Order: sequence, then structure tokens, then C-alpha cells
Amino acid sequence: MSLKLFELLLKASLYTIGISLISILIGFAIAILLSGAMLSGRKFFSAPAQIFISFFRGVPLLVQLLLIYNLLPVIGINVPSIVAAIVGLSLCTAAYQAENLRGGFASVPRGLIESAEMVGFTPGQAFRRIKVPIALRLTFPALVNEAILILKASSLVSVVGIVELTRMAQDLAGSTFLPLEIFASAGLIYLVINLVVARAGGLIERSLPGIPR
Amino acid sequence: MRAGFLVRGLATAALLLGTTFSAHAEDALARVKAAGSLKVGTETAFAPFDFIDAGEHAGLNVDVFAEIGKELGVTIEWVALPWEGVLPGLEAGKFDMVAGPATITKARMERYRFTPPVAEATVAILKKAGDTTITKPEDIAGKAIGVGKATAQLAQLTAYSETLPTKVDVREYPAFTESYADLAAGRIAGVANSLPNIAFVASQRKDTFEVVLPPFGQKSYFGFIGTKDADHAPLMVAIDAALLKMKGDGRLAEMQKKWFGASFDTPDSVPDPAF
Amino acid sequence: MIFDVNVIFDQLPAILRGAGVTILLWIAATIGGAFFGFLVAVGRRYGGRLVNLPLGFCVEILRGTPFLIQIFLLYYGGPFIGLALDPVPAGLMGLTVYGAAYYSEIFRSGFAAIPVGHIEAAQCVGLTQGQIIRRILLPEMTMLVLPPSVNMAVIILKETAILSIITVPELTLTVSAIGSQQYAFVESLFLLALIYWALVEAAGRLGHLAETRLSRYRFSQS
Repeated sequence: MSLKLFELLLKASLYTIGISLISILIGFAIAILLSGAMLSGRKFFSAPAQIFISFFRGVPLLVQLLLIYNLLPVIGINVPSIVAAIVGLSLCTAAYQAENLRGGFASVPRGLIESAEMVGFTPGQAFRRIKVPIALRLTFPALVNEAILILKASSLVSVVGIVELTRMAQDLAGSTFLPLEIFASAGLIYLVINLVVARAGGLIERSLPGIPR
Repeated sequence: MRAGFLVRGLATAALLLGTTFSAHAEDALARVKAAGSLKVGTETAFAPFDFIDAGEHAGLNVDVFAEIGKELGVTIEWVALPWEGVLPGLEAGKFDMVAGPATITKARMERYRFTPPVAEATVAILKKAGDTTITKPEDIAGKAIGVGKATAQLAQLTAYSETLPTKVDVREYPAFTESYADLAAGRIAGVANSLPNIAFVASQRKDTFEVVLPPFGQKSYFGFIGTKDADHAPLMVAIDAALLKMKGDGRLAEMQKKWFGASFDTPDSVPDPAF
Repeated sequence: MIFDVNVIFDQLPAILRGAGVTILLWIAATIGGAFFGFLVAVGRRYGGRLVNLPLGFCVEILRGTPFLIQIFLLYYGGPFIGLALDPVPAGLMGLTVYGAAYYSEIFRSGFAAIPVGHIEAAQCVGLTQGQIIRRILLPEMTMLVLPPSVNMAVIILKETAILSIITVPELTLTVSAIGSQQYAFVESLFLLALIYWALVEAAGRLGHLAETRLSRYRFSQS
């Protein structure tokens, strides 16, 4: 396998990184809204959020992407490849991240909130100053996990016409007939990207304040 | 306020309708010419028709469509998708036509509009280099042979298998790349695919693969794919004319020689395919 | 586009077989993955550096590369190093190992979230290491690890679709083959969406049920 092929894989990985990063950020913003809606205790907000999460967690990403790319034009909305890719990936990760956040909020010890209120925090303050930071702290490892999952799931956006790392590997395998060498190289690139994400996540996690005992 | 809102709404609706109508007033050919580009969907893992060579999309299709573009006075805009996304994309109107190419079959002709053939698609066997147990197509009787799932090659292999004393153990793969990988890994004795494709595979990996000649079964042909609707009819007629012109003046034969090492004697159209 | 339901009904036996393969592989790989993942997490916590480092290295590789690439290399590369597995065993093995890597991390962060004081207290009153794992670590972290565990089960379900590239006759391979044979792209997409959605919903419901049960139990204890 030549250096040229490896270079092509590296270039394609820029799509993998870019699309994943944007989608995770957009997905996090949507996830906050979703988990807020679910914890609001009002059916008016929680029911639609529940359906959203159920749909985007339940239907395979590949199918979601094809629906966005190939079925929206039928009703007159023609989305370009890159938009379909980012929308599909963002909505999907939002559903998973919302579920993580919900779990985090649910596992904030009740005693902490009670003691905060006892020392004179209003419920709003207790929520903002105690519950949110602890929930975010508790779910941070899950967020890093999700980032890595999305980096890998982004390979599916090839189905809407984005030649990212996995697709480039498949194209090159279909052109050179050296699939093992090429897939191993692509795997190595994914590994390096994800190790960087995991290390960065670990560093950030350590710099965060510890969980109160 | 409310009246103003209504008027504005109606005006927007009229505008939307107007643009929809004007977009459909012309046919696909006129739109392609007005835009100055023909959008072609394909999979770039189908050597030697479409593949990535030294980082560039290359192959017979690229050369042929460059000439078609010249004939029509437009540039070619390629959309690369995995094959399972290509035909649905065509039906969703994501591009004007599909390169591929695909084997011209009866079933496909019912659904799609094919161009004149650009190459022969007759099926042959790819074996491991130096395998002496397969020297002619009949030798695959009783052996495990790989083929792409839901392909015309599968239909041809199955039909051929029926004519053999012992049936072929047909193994279906999601794509031919995986079947080549399994041939290299030794789980199957051969892969059945169209001759131009496996000839290219064998030429790229001489130490690993070898083609078993002659091809078997009935002759079949590769054509490019378009939709059958009236909107696309003038475009497809123009593509047909460009291809036949290239065939007439020898450009197509030259490209076949460049990519397959030999030119094919293809008919101008395939009204009644064997499969 | 015409939506033809008959395409689905004609092929129902094949589709159900594909769904059966998917469900069996999913359940087996999830249980296996959680089991081995727990062993890995315990091993890394108590096994010392000699166990922790190599296991951590393997977990990083498995989590850091796409399952598609792992399974491709295992199945098509395996025979070159003398590991020629059939599609279904290869798929099950690949999926279990992949799941185990993720589950080990879920359990590890579960362990880490348990207040050190609880463990020290347990040690003070003379509980053995095995007892601490069973009586303190497991029950205390269950609430925390349950949501990500259900998430992971869902991810494993979706990864079973990748097994189509090594010719495992699971749901996605079966339905998409029918879809492209009959040009029923839209029908097959909707069918796949529906079946996977139903399975994920079932898993999610079970997870929620377990969560409510457990939280009731926890509060009755306090």
C-alpha cells in the first residue's frame, strides 16, 4: 500500500472529524432542550420529547439519512448532501445525549438538593448551582463516549454522498483490491482520532471539580 | 392585519407555485443545458468503470461522460454514493442519470431507461492464481462461488448452475469487494462477475487472482441508466445520440481498449435481453 | 413512488428469519458483552498494572475503531492468521468483544462514582473484596450504569446490521436484498425502520421498568 493511499484516507478523515464535531455540538444543544422537556414534569413538553428520542434512537441512522436525503425531495425539500449528513447525525446524537443527561439528573443525590435548600438556596438556585453542575459532571464521561460513537457512526453519511474515511477506504478497496491493508489503515486513523478525543476528555474530566461526597 | 397576512400568504403561495410550474415547464434536457451541467450519480468502487486512481475519480465512465458533456455542451457533475444509495437517489431526482453501468436485464428495463451498451457484461469466473482445479467454467460444479447479492450476475450464475451436473454452491455477498476478499481468504473457490470487472481485478493483483476463460452463459451488456418519465425522455435521447456518435467515429472503441485492453462489438440497443 | 405492501407479505418468512437471526445475535452479544465487560472492569480495578494496562490497551483499540472495520478484518483477515470462522460465529464473537469493551467502561465509571467512604466503611466492618463488589459496588452503581447500559444494548442492536458485510443472514441483509431485487427501496426502508424501532422501544421499556423498580427499592432502604 502506497503512501498516496494513506494520504487519501487522511484527507477523507477531515470530513469524518468536521461532520462529527459539528453534529455533536448541535446535538448537545438539542439534548439540553430535550432533557429539560422530559424533566419538566409537564406532559405537553415531555411527550413530544419522548417521541423524538424514541424515533431517533430506534430507527437506524442509515434509514434516517436516506429518509432525509431521498424522501424530503418528494415533498419538495431538496437538501444538499452535507446538510442531510449533519442534520441526520445531529438529531441522532441528540436523542442519545438527552438520555444520558436524563440519567445524570436522576442520579444527583437528593440529599444534596435538600441540604442546599436548607441552607437557604431557592429551588431555582439549587437547580442551577447544584443540580446542573453535578449532572453535567456525572455525565461527562458519557459525553466523551458519545463523541467517539458519533465519530464512528459518521461513516454512514456516505449513503448521502459524502466521501468520508470509511467510504474512501471502501472506494480504494474496490479500486486496488487490497481491502485488508486499506481497512487496517483506516482503522488506525480512527484509533488515533478517538485516542485524542479520549485523552482530551480525560484531561478535562480531571480538571473538573470532584463529585461531592 | 389579518387581511395583510392573508394577502402576503397568497402572494407567497403564488410565487411558490409559479416557480414550481416554471421548473416543470421545460424538460430535463433544457434544465441541464440551462444549468450547464449534467449531474451523474455513480459508485466510485466499480473498477474499471468508476474508481479512485491516485486520488482522482477515473475510469471508462469518466472518459465517456467527458465526451458526452462535449456533445451536449455541458460539464459533468459527479455524485459518488454507495451503490445501495444510487438507484433510490436517481428516483428521488438527486441526479439526472446514473453511470454505473448496470447489466441490461428484462426486469430492469421495466423500471429504468437504458442507454446503448458501453461494454459487454457477460459473466466469467475469477479464481485464485494457480488454482488448477478450475480451468474451464464447467469446473465450478459443486464448488463455492461468490457473487454480489441482487445482481444480474447472480441470476446468470444461478441459471448456469442449473445446466451443470452438480449445482454450484452460490454464496451471496453485499458487494463484490467482499467476495474478492473471501476468495483471497480461501473460503470460496471463485467469484462470478462480468468479464471487464474481473479482468481488471486480475490485472491489478496478478499474484492473487486469475480469470477463467471463456465467459459462460448468454451474452449480456452494460448500459447507463436513466428514468422512464417523459420529463427525462429528451435528455436520454440526446445521451443515446451522443453515445452512438462516439461508437460510430471510434471514440468508444478507443476507450474500451484503454480500460479493458480490448474493444467490444456491442449492439446499438438491447431490445430483448437474455435475462 | 408506489408503496406496495405485497412485496413485504410475499417475503414474510424470509424477513422473519432475518429478524430472528438479528434478535438472537443481539441478545447473545449484549449478555456476553455485559458479562465480559464486567469481568474486564473488575480486572482493571483489582488486577494491578499488569492486568490494567494490556486490558486498557485492548479496550481503547476496540472503542476507537469502527465495528465495520473490526469485523471486516476479523472475518476476511482471520484466515491469513489461521482463524477461519464461519459468518455467524465470527459475527457473534466480534459483536461480543466489541460490546464488552464498551460495557467495561460503563462499569468502570460506575465504580468510580461510588463514594470512597462507602468502600472504606465496608472494609472497616470486615467485608471481603468479593462481598464489597457484590454488596456495595454492584447495587450502588446500578442506577448510574442502567441508562448507559440500555443505550449500549441499543447500539449493539444497530451494529448487528453491519454483520451483513460478512454475509450473516440478518435482518438488514435480508430486507435490503429483497428491496433491491424488487426495486422496493422505500418499502424496505420503512420496514427496516419499523422493526428496529419496535425492538429498541422494547429494550427502552424494559430499561425504564428496571429503573423504576430499582429506585423504589433504593428509597425504601433509606
